[in-house]
Amino acid sequence: MKQNDMTKPFDVIVIGGGATGAGTARDCARRGIRVLLIERFDISTGATGRNHGLLHSGARYAVTDQESAEECIKENMILRRIASHCVEETDGLFLSLPEDDIQYQAKFVEACLRAGIRAEVIDPKEALRLEPSANPAIIGAVRVPDGAVDPFRLTTSNVIDARNHGAEILTYHEVTELLREQDRIIGVKVLDHKTKEVKNYYANVVVNAGGIWGHNIAKLAGITVNMLPAKGALLIFGHRVNNIVLNRCRKPADADILVPGDTISLIGTTSSKVPFEEIDHMLVTPEEVDLLLREGEKLAPILAQTRILRAYAGVRPLVAADDDPSGRNVSRGIVLLDHAQRDGLQGFVTITGGKLMTYRLMAEWTTDLICKKLNITAECSTATEKLPGSREDREEVRKKIISMPLAPRNSSIARHGDLAEKLSGNTSLENSLVCECEEVSVGEVKYALNELDVNNLVDLRRRTRVGMGTCQGELCACRAAGLMSSMHKYCTRRAKEDLASFLNERWKGMAPIAWGDTLRESEYTNWIYEGVCGLGADLLRHESEKLESGN
Amino acid sequence: MKFDTIIIGGGLSGLVAGNYLVRHGQRCVIISSGQSALHFSSGSLDLLNFLPDGTAVSHPSTSVAQLVAQAPAHPYAKLGVVKFNELTAKAERLMEEWGIQLEGSALKNHYRVTPMGTLKPTWLTLKEYAVAESENSLPWKKVAIFNVAGFLDFYTQFVVDEFRKWGTECESHLIHLPALENLRKNPSEMRSVNIARLFDQTENLDLLALDLQREAGDVEVILLPAVLGITQTGTLKYLCQKTGKEIRVLPTLPPSVPGIRTQQRLRKCFQDQGGVYMLGDTVLRAEKEQDRVVRLYSYNHGDIPFVAENVILASGSYFSQGLVAAPDRVYEPIFDLDVDFVAHRNQWYDLNVFARQPYHGFGVKTTADFRGLYRGQMLKNVYVAGALLEGFNPIKEGCGGGVSVLTALYVAEQILSK
Repeated sequence: MKQNDMTKPFDVIVIGGGATGAGTARDCARRGIRVLLIERFDISTGATGRNHGLLHSGARYAVTDQESAEECIKENMILRRIASHCVEETDGLFLSLPEDDIQYQAKFVEACLRAGIRAEVIDPKEALRLEPSANPAIIGAVRVPDGAVDPFRLTTSNVIDARNHGAEILTYHEVTELLREQDRIIGVKVLDHKTKEVKNYYANVVVNAGGIWGHNIAKLAGITVNMLPAKGALLIFGHRVNNIVLNRCRKPADADILVPGDTISLIGTTSSKVPFEEIDHMLVTPEEVDLLLREGEKLAPILAQTRILRAYAGVRPLVAADDDPSGRNVSRGIVLLDHAQRDGLQGFVTITGGKLMTYRLMAEWTTDLICKKLNITAECSTATEKLPGSREDREEVRKKIISMPLAPRNSSIARHGDLAEKLSGNTSLENSLVCECEEVSVGEVKYALNELDVNNLVDLRRRTRVGMGTCQGELCACRAAGLMSSMHKYCTRRAKEDLASFLNERWKGMAPIAWGDTLRESEYTNWIYEGVCGLGADLLRHESEKLESGN
Repeated sequence: MKFDTIIIGGGLSGLVAGNYLVRHGQRCVIISSGQSALHFSSGSLDLLNFLPDGTAVSHPSTSVAQLVAQAPAHPYAKLGVVKFNELTAKAERLMEEWGIQLEGSALKNHYRVTPMGTLKPTWLTLKEYAVAESENSLPWKKVAIFNVAGFLDFYTQFVVDEFRKWGTECESHLIHLPALENLRKNPSEMRSVNIARLFDQTENLDLLALDLQREAGDVEVILLPAVLGITQTGTLKYLCQKTGKEIRVLPTLPPSVPGIRTQQRLRKCFQDQGGVYMLGDTVLRAEKEQDRVVRLYSYNHGDIPFVAENVILASGSYFSQGLVAAPDRVYEPIFDLDVDFVAHRNQWYDLNVFARQPYHGFGVKTTADFRGLYRGQMLKNVYVAGALLEGFNPIKEGCGGGVSVLTALYVAEQILSK
């Protein structure tokens, strides 16, 4: 292992490539701060990529947490404007079932209005007309400005904008040490998982935006941030069951949100504390699946007959108040810790708590603090400046790539917004479909490989939805591996290993719900890849090896 | 509708049983709901590649004795060593008779080339495919491998790199033809079956021949993806004559053109001998009298029953819905025959996708002569054949094709001997 000192100076190093880290890098870069973003895997691999994709109106928190509700509605309105290509303006319904207390509705509406959230009581019949999948037994409904947001697109777009403004991004780089001089953090030591090189990077301020993993990052500085890993499991259904977000009109509980997103719908979540040792290996249990289905069917009874595509779980970084070592008094609010003040350690900041909805605000607060430390006066522009992809009207983009066949054209605009213009030069070869379920063309895969930091098939899935559809990567995985190899992303041996681990990763999410059509699909996949193609377990390298080679 | 035997399932097993029975004068119907595993065939039938304990097998006809000792519920164990060997020889002969050109023998496995360029043991392979006698070497020193430009279901570099490891010189080339450009206008058209339709036209095949001749140079064999001959037979032979070269194909991702052709050939053979083949129909329910099934009702025929002396259930496994997995059980949907499965869903799977998956081994319980059991009682005229049987793992043991063919022949013999 070589050790290199990277002499290029940075003002700020952000650790963590989730929405918050990417948002902070964007904000810093836009304010002219020299920023480096470091992520140990791919962007959006933590909680950012493992939630509902719900564009909260804040209504869910209105009764229990006014502050969060207010933050949500403000950010909701901002994201609709700056990230329109990542957002679907679906609205949401809060449904009262016969078993729910209808008195809660009035309290709920009152709290929403107080927080500045439009909340309109509508007749249950009207609610069913608007959303036919809703439970016909409902006794009440309130309409709120919920929506759907694609966290992968959102994070990618923040990364693109950050880079366009001079930020540097390193994925598959893991921080192994915080470099310290007396009472100051002066940089980080990182391991490059692809080359195995160890490098040092220096900056005036290091930001810990590692989500639940931020707990361990703080530990590297000898600091305790009292975080609690809370697992949330979700199920993805095989088609778009609902067009409006469905919630239960009661105190927030398990499995009471059904969100439409692209071609699918999502039900979630459960909530359970898990030990830190497990946060890298979240598996969904049969009990969680049963609970999600049982509760989900109350929102939309059709879920009982709908194919489930996969199950997955994320880990929320809940933070206990500093004066509460028991960890009972947790908050979902934003926690910004200036360790200079809190622990007497200069040059180190932790941003945690919060939620996907408030990533931008978290980034703004963090960047404000950084500016204060660096004596910079630049104003935040992330609430007003649109993200790449959301700057141009969709109709205009459509005209520019009119040569693409209709379905993949619409899909790629939905995924990349105005960045889909980059596909305007597609040849007929590049218009060929790699993934029929999600209408992903060769050209779109090439764009992702060339410009969006794709290192393997899972990264590619996050950028393009290859393998996210009903077949869960049956044939498209092999096609995409071939394409990646032909574009010299890796050699054929690595392509096969990548294919094997992609299939294994897909299976991990299918196994908890593998019955009915999902099991049929899995059996077929086994026949094709193990039977016909002869892929085998020898290609699945040990987890740690995979990690080190950037997979 | 009265028949001697009703066969449920038009895949390999159903077609083998049907052909055997009609050849011996029976009046048969095959009721097929659609595609079968032949549609994504590798071009080979595996007989036995590994014993249940993981030991590699190179001589299935002798190793089967060990399998019988290891796995008493295995279909081969029910057949027994003598019958197993008798039926493999019979299958090899019959397939030839039915017009399916295969090479290989149950005495010794040969090796087929996978789409990944590796070698995998097998029993019988369609004669057009590339095969090797040994698992340690290829029969050629210099080959040219071609792909259709833009055909994503076949990736030559996988093969090239593996072949080079064996010391075989291997160059890859792309085929560009005007007719292929037309296919490309629709982005989802560039698939094996559509390409095969183009090459079923002589003018395109002639152009391909010119291309191959010009590009291949001095090689022992030209390798192509299996995209030849969907409605025509003899396409590859024609191409070999035209080019004066030996040409072999390699499997592609599904659909499998040679697999579909094989299915069509077996179906035609069955129909030519008077068999009735009902495509796109599904048996919904059965009526029993004591220990016999007396009437079957299908989706297309409503209340008009199918009546027969015997029924062969060859409806496949999960994929073909011969077996259905619910969250809490695995069942057989037509007769509700007893199914062997593990009660707790957690134990159906291994989280490593390439590990032995217990659910692959679940299946319908039968007597030693493959008659189905209903709540522990034998149904006297319901025989079960092929992928939905209990007691074997087609992927780990490499025995799916063999189980389908041998059990089909066995139950057909049983019916004829009644």
